[in-house]
Amino acid sequence: MRFTLEVWTQASRDEEGHFERYDVDGIDPDASFLEMLDELNARLAAEGKRTIAFDSDCREGICGMCSLTIDGQPHGPNQVTTCQTFMRDFEDGATIRVEPFRSGAFPVVRDLVTDRSALDRIVQAGGYVTTKTGPKPDPNAAPVPPAVQQKVMDAAACIGCGACVAACPNGAAMLFTGAKVTHFNLLPQGQPERASRARSLVLAMDAEGFGGCTNYGECARVCPQEIPLDVIGMLNREYRRGARREDDTVGTRT
Amino acid sequence: MPAHDVLIIGAGLAGQRAALAAAQAGATVAVLSKVHPVRSHSVAAAGGINAAIAVEDDWRSHAYDTVKGSDFLGDQDAIEVMCAEAPAEVLHLEHIGVTFHRDETGRLDLRAFGGASINRTAYVADITGQAILHVLYEQLLRFGDRIDRYEEWFTTSLIVDDGGCAGVVARDVRSGAMEVFAAKSVILACGGAGQCFKPTTNGLICTGDGMALAYRAGAPLMDMEMVQYHPTTLVENGFLITEGARGEGAHLLNADGERFMERYAPSKRELASRDVVSRAEQTEIDEGRGVGPDGRGIYLDITVVPRRRTLEALREIVNIGRDFAGVDITREPIVIRPGQHYVMGGVRTDVHGRTPLDGLYAAGEVACVSVHGGNRLGANSLLDTLIFGRRAGEHAAARAAGTRMPRVSRAPLHDDARRIEAILARPAGAGRRVSEIKEELGTTMNRHVAVFRDEGGLRTALDVVRRLREEAESAAVDDRGTVFNQDVLGAIELGCLLDCAEAMVVSALERRESRGAQFRTDFPRRDDAEWLKHITITRDGDGAPRIGYAPVTITRWEPEERRY
Ligand SMILES: Cc1cc2nc3c(=O)[nH]c(=O)nc-3n(C[C@H](O)[C@H](O)[C@H](O)COP(=O)(O)OP(=O)(O)OC[C@H]3O[C@@H](n4cnc5c(N)ncnc54)[C@H](O)[C@@H]3O)c2cc1C
Ligand code: FES
Repeated sequence: MRFTLEVWTQASRDEEGHFERYDVDGIDPDASFLEMLDELNARLAAEGKRTIAFDSDCREGICGMCSLTIDGQPHGPNQVTTCQTFMRDFEDGATIRVEPFRSGAFPVVRDLVTDRSALDRIVQAGGYVTTKTGPKPDPNAAPVPPAVQQKVMDAAACIGCGACVAACPNGAAMLFTGAKVTHFNLLPQGQPERASRARSLVLAMDAEGFGGCTNYGECARVCPQEIPLDVIGMLNREYRRGARREDDTVGTRT
Repeated sequence: MPAHDVLIIGAGLAGQRAALAAAQAGATVAVLSKVHPVRSHSVAAAGGINAAIAVEDDWRSHAYDTVKGSDFLGDQDAIEVMCAEAPAEVLHLEHIGVTFHRDETGRLDLRAFGGASINRTAYVADITGQAILHVLYEQLLRFGDRIDRYEEWFTTSLIVDDGGCAGVVARDVRSGAMEVFAAKSVILACGGAGQCFKPTTNGLICTGDGMALAYRAGAPLMDMEMVQYHPTTLVENGFLITEGARGEGAHLLNADGERFMERYAPSKRELASRDVVSRAEQTEIDEGRGVGPDGRGIYLDITVVPRRRTLEALREIVNIGRDFAGVDITREPIVIRPGQHYVMGGVRTDVHGRTPLDGLYAAGEVACVSVHGGNRLGANSLLDTLIFGRRAGEHAAARAAGTRMPRVSRAPLHDDARRIEAILARPAGAGRRVSEIKEELGTTMNRHVAVFRDEGGLRTALDVVRRLREEAESAAVDDRGTVFNQDVLGAIELGCLLDCAEAMVVSALERRESRGAQFRTDFPRRDDAEWLKHITITRDGDGAPRIGYAPVTITRWEPEERRY
């Protein structure tokens, strides 16, 4: 197969970027999108030209590192990670535009690589269980019903890739944050901080410059882990629940 | 210059667990990782983690299974520690929010795994590693005031001063800046070296950096000949199909449709230890009973598992089958073969994670305690990372409390900076490309240092590795910049891979017997009289590997013939 690629090129965070055009041919339809870029890089290198920087590790959809916007869609045309996107999903001869995940909260490091640490700072605000040392209670003393288990599992499947943010016209991180809150607030272990967790996380989300949610639902449509939109409902409910128990330590949303 | 009581290199499960333990013990801690912590390769762990939690189970049974799995090369004192502490560790994980699978009554569920005498594997569908890694990272963030994180920092060397480890030199991947980190205790938690092989189930970052760093600093490597081939990796690209599939009841079939494991391991069949199953598969393939392209594969038939159960408990591999092999695993068998998966060997440590080099610790896949000996049981690695990660963190913190911060000079930084300059200055087009050398290394190792080995093949491999080492010296890199230069790091990683590969081949040549993952067709028997001992590899002054031996610790279980 052959393709024309328009690839975002940016030397560093502080420099301006632009699209660079490349023609590639002889691509195996079963090559993944990243293998196609490897091939392009190998050819560029052989010609002594600058190669394109992009992130990946596991290449099987679990580590959350790969992060390309392909023809305007985070991770490309199918609801899978970039590394699980194959060239057979594109038309022969197509022109494909390749960009990093776009969001004000994700500055570009170089070319197609972004800094997604803003997501960590949301979690840092309370996306965890606080524990005491000493013997732990028998987990079977507090059975988790299958329906709850399923919801928690669906939320805990988040790989933190940030596609939800890149897809959202507002650049919101509601799906990500909702998944964290759903995971912990439904578990018996997460109850002690239940009241404050949603509020702390939402405040951090705002502070990082993520946008607000206006129910586009694009986030759930691109999420490779198929995290359901319900987690945003859960986040909003838990946020209000926390508001009712507002205490000064948490602060108010501005 | 940053200075910490405890400096941890690596932020997979072992590194993060060590960081939390050290911080909780009151130490100042830094974690340095070449990739963002949750992208560490622990994230890919699928099937689960072993612990004798069931009421009818006993940690001694877990320990015996582990000793037997190791083909009696594992050190039994370390195995006892790991298995006895396992239940509390798994309950701790559950307590901080890991959603281990529960049955219809809401109780913890345990699945069957290879080499285990009872269902003992706690799991989160087939994303156990991801589930644990994310929850631990959330804890790491929680202790953000006590744990400094250096994410996307690449360690280029250990600093040895006065006979002890005093810190490291590292490069900021994003900016290219170099820095010296001083520390009272350094813990290596850099993961495995699977990229020595091609194909492998390991990610691109598993390049044996930690083993090479320790080796170059003078610490011994141990059991390096013991390389695990996992019985079920996709024929197409080497991706892992978790042992959980066989734990759920899937069968292995040859071209005659025969469930051949009945011949090799009459009682455990598909759930014999991995070395046994991989050898059986390879024998079937070599004797012409393979399936798929060129008869190089074996059928893994998951259709015998109820479809609902597959969709619930094996959801990740349903996707892998669909995306990468075009197969709906709930309806037809998938073609697999043995593939490189894990390195049992690593930097030699004691049960506190201490290496023989003062101030240097190691934990996780980079280390060799040795709890896995000749062959690791499935779902014992995650356990190993957590138990010995925690123990190393605690011990390193305690040691730091009684020592002064070493005074570290910046000279090693300049050495490494010059080394990198020299790589960047290599003339383009003069030598071979890094990727070519890596490719030749991987295919050579996979050909000669695989399931079946012999002297001739191993000698060939050693010659190739040594030639590649020379070629690597002049391999040019394409990118000469500073910002996010992946090429220059690739060149450094290649050097690490070559050191690890050399140690593996030299050890495999030395062990003139068959035990665990090492099967020598020229020495097909296990020989306890001569070889019930570990092989260690230390770097000599002139850079050559020096062979040594270490005794195997036996506490309760005398070696016996293995039957499954
Ligand atoms: C596909 C797959 C499935 C598996 N499934 C299971 C399972 O079900 N159960 C089980 O028990 N085991 C399983 N294993 C094995 C297990 O996952 C690994 O052995 C274990 O996770 C290793 O953890 P670790 O913490 O030692 O290293 P890793 O998680 O590999 O982390 C290594 C860390 O070191 C850092 N690092 C490396 N080099 C440098 C450097 N030069 N400078 C700075 N940082 C560096 C990396 O950034 C990373 O943070 C599986 C392995 C694979 C590949
Ligand atoms: S590279 Fe790991 S999810 Fe794509």
